[in-house]
Amino acid sequence: MADFLQILITAIAVGSLYALIALGYTMVYGILKFINFAHSDIFVLGAWTSLTASVCVITWLKLDTQQPPLWLAPVVLLCAMVVCGGVAFLVERLAYKPLRKSARLNVLITAIGVSLLLQNVGQLPGFTAAEKDGRSLATVPFGPSPSRMPSLLPDTSLISVPFPSGDPTIPAASVQVNLVDVFIFVSAMVLMFGLQHLVYRTKLGAAMRAVSFNTETASLMGVPVDRVMSFTFVTGAVLAAAAGFLYALKYPGLNQPAHEIWVLLGLKAFVAAVVGGIGNVRGAVLGGFLIALIEFMGMYLFSKYLDPLMGTNMGTNLRDVYVFSVLIVVLLVKPSGLLGTPVREKV
Amino acid sequence: MSALTDLIPAHRPSLAQSLFAGVVVPSLCAIGVGTLMQFGVGPVLGDYWTSVGVQVGIAVMLAVSLNIVNGFTGQFSIGHAGFFAIGAYIGAGVSYYGALLIWNDASAMAHGAPLVWNNSKSWLFGAGEWLMIGGAILGACVAAAFGYIVGLPSLRLRGDYLAIVTLGFGEIVRVLLQQTRPQVFDGAELREMSAGELVIPPLGGATGFSSIPKYANLWWVWLFVAVVVFFAYRVKVSSTGRALLSIREDEIAARAMGVNITKYKVRAFVLAAALAGIAGALYAHSGNVLQPRDAGFQRSFDCIIFVVLGGLGSISGAALAAVALSIMTEALRGPEPILENWIALLILTAVISIVAAILRAVGNRGWRITLLMAVTPLSILLLGLASKFFTDATGINLADYRMVVYALLLIVVMLVRPNGLFGLTEIWEYFGPERAKKPPTTPPTASQAAAAAPTEGSRP
Amino acid sequence: MSEFLLDVREIGISFGGLKACQQLTLQVPARGLHGLIGPNGAGKTTAFNLITGVYQTQTGSVSLDGVHVHHLAPHQIAKAGMSRTFQNIRLFGDLSVLDNVRLACHLRGTHTLIGTLFRTPMFVAQERAIRERALKMLDVFDLADLADEQARSLPYGNQRRLEICRALATEPKVLLLDEPAAGMNPSEKVALAATIRQIRDRFNLAILLIEHDMGLVMDICEHITVLDHGTPIAAGAPREVQNNPKVQEAYLGEPGAVL
Ligand SMILES: Nc1ncnc2c1ncn2[C@@H]1O[C@H](COP(=O)(O)OP(=O)(O)OP(=O)(O)O)[C@@H](O)[C@H]1O
Ligand SMILES: [Mg+2]
Repeated sequence: MADFLQILITAIAVGSLYALIALGYTMVYGILKFINFAHSDIFVLGAWTSLTASVCVITWLKLDTQQPPLWLAPVVLLCAMVVCGGVAFLVERLAYKPLRKSARLNVLITAIGVSLLLQNVGQLPGFTAAEKDGRSLATVPFGPSPSRMPSLLPDTSLISVPFPSGDPTIPAASVQVNLVDVFIFVSAMVLMFGLQHLVYRTKLGAAMRAVSFNTETASLMGVPVDRVMSFTFVTGAVLAAAAGFLYALKYPGLNQPAHEIWVLLGLKAFVAAVVGGIGNVRGAVLGGFLIALIEFMGMYLFSKYLDPLMGTNMGTNLRDVYVFSVLIVVLLVKPSGLLGTPVREKV
Repeated sequence: MSALTDLIPAHRPSLAQSLFAGVVVPSLCAIGVGTLMQFGVGPVLGDYWTSVGVQVGIAVMLAVSLNIVNGFTGQFSIGHAGFFAIGAYIGAGVSYYGALLIWNDASAMAHGAPLVWNNSKSWLFGAGEWLMIGGAILGACVAAAFGYIVGLPSLRLRGDYLAIVTLGFGEIVRVLLQQTRPQVFDGAELREMSAGELVIPPLGGATGFSSIPKYANLWWVWLFVAVVVFFAYRVKVSSTGRALLSIREDEIAARAMGVNITKYKVRAFVLAAALAGIAGALYAHSGNVLQPRDAGFQRSFDCIIFVVLGGLGSISGAALAAVALSIMTEALRGPEPILENWIALLILTAVISIVAAILRAVGNRGWRITLLMAVTPLSILLLGLASKFFTDATGINLADYRMVVYALLLIVVMLVRPNGLFGLTEIWEYFGPERAKKPPTTPPTASQAAAAAPTEGSRP
Repeated sequence: MSEFLLDVREIGISFGGLKACQQLTLQVPARGLHGLIGPNGAGKTTAFNLITGVYQTQTGSVSLDGVHVHHLAPHQIAKAGMSRTFQNIRLFGDLSVLDNVRLACHLRGTHTLIGTLFRTPMFVAQERAIRERALKMLDVFDLADLADEQARSLPYGNQRRLEICRALATEPKVLLLDEPAAGMNPSEKVALAATIRQIRDRFNLAILLIEHDMGLVMDICEHITVLDHGTPIAAGAPREVQNNPKVQEAYLGEPGAVL
């Protein structure tokens, strides 16, 4: 029971990350009507920028590596958001905007090209940005090997609930709620409500919804379509940057930018967007939590029940398989997703 | 006007005729291609270039098969390597474990490959090579079945879902292959394994699948290249191919003209998966250790760049791109063999240029494309040189960063030439007598011109 | 079972709150030539989309030759004998003129992968028959000389003709033409009117025509249905419709204006 609850808590933290990334997919899809393959790479950029920024600030200001001051976290987050927003702006202007009227296939191929470009430029051997004792600590770009994010938050657990096991021979387990998990959940919630407010309560949000509903009409009504599209794109990227930052807090050992693990992470966030109903903001959040829940429950149940049965040890390794199976089922049963509405192409 | 069905009987060829034109001639051609490569080109190339030739052939198969989905049908699969890997592992499993069970020995020397070692125990092929063919067919069937399972749900929906689902598929295949049991090297041990243990097959897991008999020489690979190209071409110029192309051009019009678009999309996808499976099975027998990562995104992306660069819909264009880019990658990886052969590359450039000059002299419009092809060996040579100097100067191997260049190439091609270098056109269609400049036909009336303007280039 | 070849009853669809087409009923007998008119945005194209299955009708029924087709997919409806052209020409631009028509012959054959890959006698015979028929069709429309041109490269008028030719190559019982005269000059329109009549006689089919050019519609149609704001407001012979005050109001905003 205790391990079950512990996994549930992790699932909620990871689910908030998926939700943040899925929001970017969904917003861009809603407005530009294509899957922005490069979105997951913006997320990776966010994670790596956070790493590089925190290492640099710590080294330059000679801060305490073990317990850096609390103001560092928001500064690093801001850095990641600015960098990701800037890169996304450039990508949109240089690669996607010229293709606005092109066939869907071309946009898709370009998006994949952009994704690969970001990945591979990201892991070019870089210039040293921070060094200590002649050893390079962080480079720009990030270089081809994994690295470790300094811990910005104290590693404390806020709540610890002891869980007596029924059997006296087994020691009591406890469920811990860590600061990181709470921080992730709270930040994600703040950002999501912010976005909700932006989309449904502001003039800009109304413009975004208008463009999403019908680009041509919106432009006839005087909505500056290009600017709204760029803005949406950048907003998605900023959310992804936040997700990258939070991810790096939770899992500080970062793989190099072109590692397959990132592709899979991005894919799962996309699945979350599809499951929730692509183009639907609330759906993305719902999907994010749902996917994380399925992933972690799958791992838990498989390791606990199936692995002993088959004499294997692969419950954890198959985590992506559970998510992917969900995608196939959703596509078969309700392709428009849980909260999505089916679209009709105009003839 | 008489209905189509009434017209058909009058056109029916005899069985012998169609057997000859449909099966015998292409088979002979394929065997001819294989033989030419093995006995004509192979000895000239030497060992290193022969092994490159085998890999190039496999790349061509992948490019041509992916073109059926991405080029003809306008759908977008980015998990082609998944099918490739399925074919590879099944092909490898069949001939490795088959040989282990039958002969207690899986080395190529004992049971096949007379074309390589000339110590044949049977005429033409050894029994081991039949295992390879069996494995390739089984691999193609299983890959096709997976293609169906993955393709049907996603192809019913909008195009971009296929991209995501195939991406996921390739990665999942990779993850699953990592979970397989370690390879078994002993026939007796294999026989003792229970059926329960074989539920998770011993395909080597993360360490890879090695010691697969090396039957796939130039002969086999290029024979199958010819087969795959034949198949792709036949699809392209048939009713099925037109149906696929119509889907790519305009799904709504295609449906209105009676094309069952889901059926044809799935058909294209399944065929492409099957052909990728064959390519995989041959790859397994070409002396490589199979790795789970063979199913990964990297290899899928190699296939995509062949197709996008060569031409979405052009079989020969994609094949040419596969050849050129594979050799270029080779030039980046280790430029020495390229630089050692600089004379050959220069001669090749010169010969093709001369051909282009002759074509121009006799008034064949193919000279332009020929000249373009003459640039290829030259640029391979230059690339080799550049890569060597760069590596010497910085100690960095450019091959690791080829993805940056490829990704840029992809974006630029999409912005500049959205249908790839050759588009739908086959390379040979560029040849032929120089077209006379058309005399200007009656100028369009003002209303026509005005009405025509908005329709230009406004295809969805 | 009705005596009409195309029998459309009370079909309708709304997009969100927009009632694009409501309660539309129209019947076309064999060899009939009917018109569907209405001001811009009246829902004419939407009606075509409902009849040909591009959109699913939310009410009513469509039957073709006595068989309900409104629940079928567009390709099945095409096979049942309904073919159409599009208001904004939708040719297969990268394909040749010949291939556009050959593609349309496609649905009267059977196409197997095995046949395609190994060129069985049946496959060969069918491909040859398709080619022969496609060339004949092009000949009817004076397009045979352009067979190898890319469809995209044709001038506008030829593109319109090719689209009609392609629609006819599917061997339809009913042909739906969406503004075939759009963008044509008066002399071309006269020629088009003749062509439409010829098509009806030669291919023995019923035609349903959307057209904004009143002269053309009044000239060739035997029966006209008028749509406005998604609902049918009048139907009948050209003369009756022309004099219907509701129709005049729809077009000109006030009753009694001259059409
Ligand atoms: N898929 C769709 N989604 C939303 N609205 C639609 C859709 N298709 C058509 N409409 C709307 O339905 C109404 C009728 O459109 P339709 O194209 O049928 O008009 P029409 O009579 O063909 O006009 P025109 O003479 O300009 O061709 C228009 O207001 C149009 O915007
Ligand atoms: Mg219309």
